[in-house]
Amino acid sequence: MKKVILVADDSPTIRKFVSISLKVKGYEIIQVADGMQALEVLPSEQIDLVITDLNMPNIDGFELIKTIRTNEDYREIPIIILSSLSGNEDIEKGMQCGANAYLLKPFDSKRVLYEVSKFLN
Amino acid sequence: MMRSENLSQLFSKLDDLKKVFTYGEKLIPVIQSLGEFMKETVPLLENINRSIAESTSKIPKATNQIQNVTSATEMATTEILDLVDSLNDDLTDIEKTMVEVLAKETDKKDFLMSLIPMLKKENAELFIKDFLNKNCNTEKLGVLLLQVGKMKNDSNSIALSLQVQDITSQQLATVNHLIESVQDRLSSLIEDFDNTKITEQDSNLNIPEGASFDPNARYSKSIVPQQEVDSIFSKEMQTASQAEIDKLFN
Repeated sequence: MKKVILVADDSPTIRKFVSISLKVKGYEIIQVADGMQALEVLPSEQIDLVITDLNMPNIDGFELIKTIRTNEDYREIPIIILSSLSGNEDIEKGMQCGANAYLLKPFDSKRVLYEVSKFLN
Repeated sequence: MMRSENLSQLFSKLDDLKKVFTYGEKLIPVIQSLGEFMKETVPLLENINRSIAESTSKIPKATNQIQNVTSATEMATTEILDLVDSLNDDLTDIEKTMVEVLAKETDKKDFLMSLIPMLKKENAELFIKDFLNKNCNTEKLGVLLLQVGKMKNDSNSIALSLQVQDITSQQLATVNHLIESVQDRLSSLIEDFDNTKITEQDSNLNIPEGASFDPNARYSKSIVPQQEVDSIFSKEMQTASQAEIDKLFN
């Protein structure tokens, strides 16, 4: 059974690039444009991993991670942050919220694949 | 005696008054030139005010154009990424087929080579090797597979470079935000000057609601920033070295 990855980013370019990067390894990708849409998808799909941006409209990445980590049904889902925010305070905040990995944009598809395979295989 | 003192005081006051008039006489030309200066300055200030108002009313058009640039590049980038995706799919199919063909060719070669000991004719080995040299494509397929692999890497590099669109869109969003701040300041200046209000239509900046961006977003292929992130995360988690990643995918 294919592993399902939820990608939350307001940039269609980034969503597409992540999708291309992960598709080669047979992962199924669900794309959403913000944290609110991500939270709408979570109850209806069996999500194995979440990749999220931090700067997003409606519900940002930090809020999304916190919400996932405080929900009993989803708290075990691995979360990878994909962001251009490179300040220490953002990285530490991401870690404190409960992210499992933090990748900076622009990112290498191999690195994304490595992080994903680390949690899913 | 008292009268004499009073008179002396009166003369002193009159003297002061005279000084005031003398000073006033000197001051009048200054006040007049100040008045003339004001007369000349007011139209200038009005002109400046008109220019500010005109420039302020043009700001929404500028921000709309920036927004249009972002949308257009986003659309074009997505189209290119779709093509890269399709190209990757085709290359993967070609690669898969070539691997199958290569396996069959190798089997064929092995089979023919295995026949050599069974054949009794003296020149059988020469005959089969000559046949294989002329008809076996394993080497060519190997070279082609390497080229397909390179093409896949190149298409991946194109996709990676296209991430620049996301970074520029964030920078443009930052510029739009700055322009909005400038417009607010100019609007309040105009309001203070002649109580003219920039209309709601004029001040509509068309910045998407809830727009989110990183003003410090930069396009850089340097691995140093990621290593810094890894060092922060590695305090609690195990992170990968580039060698480990390459080992996994090469």
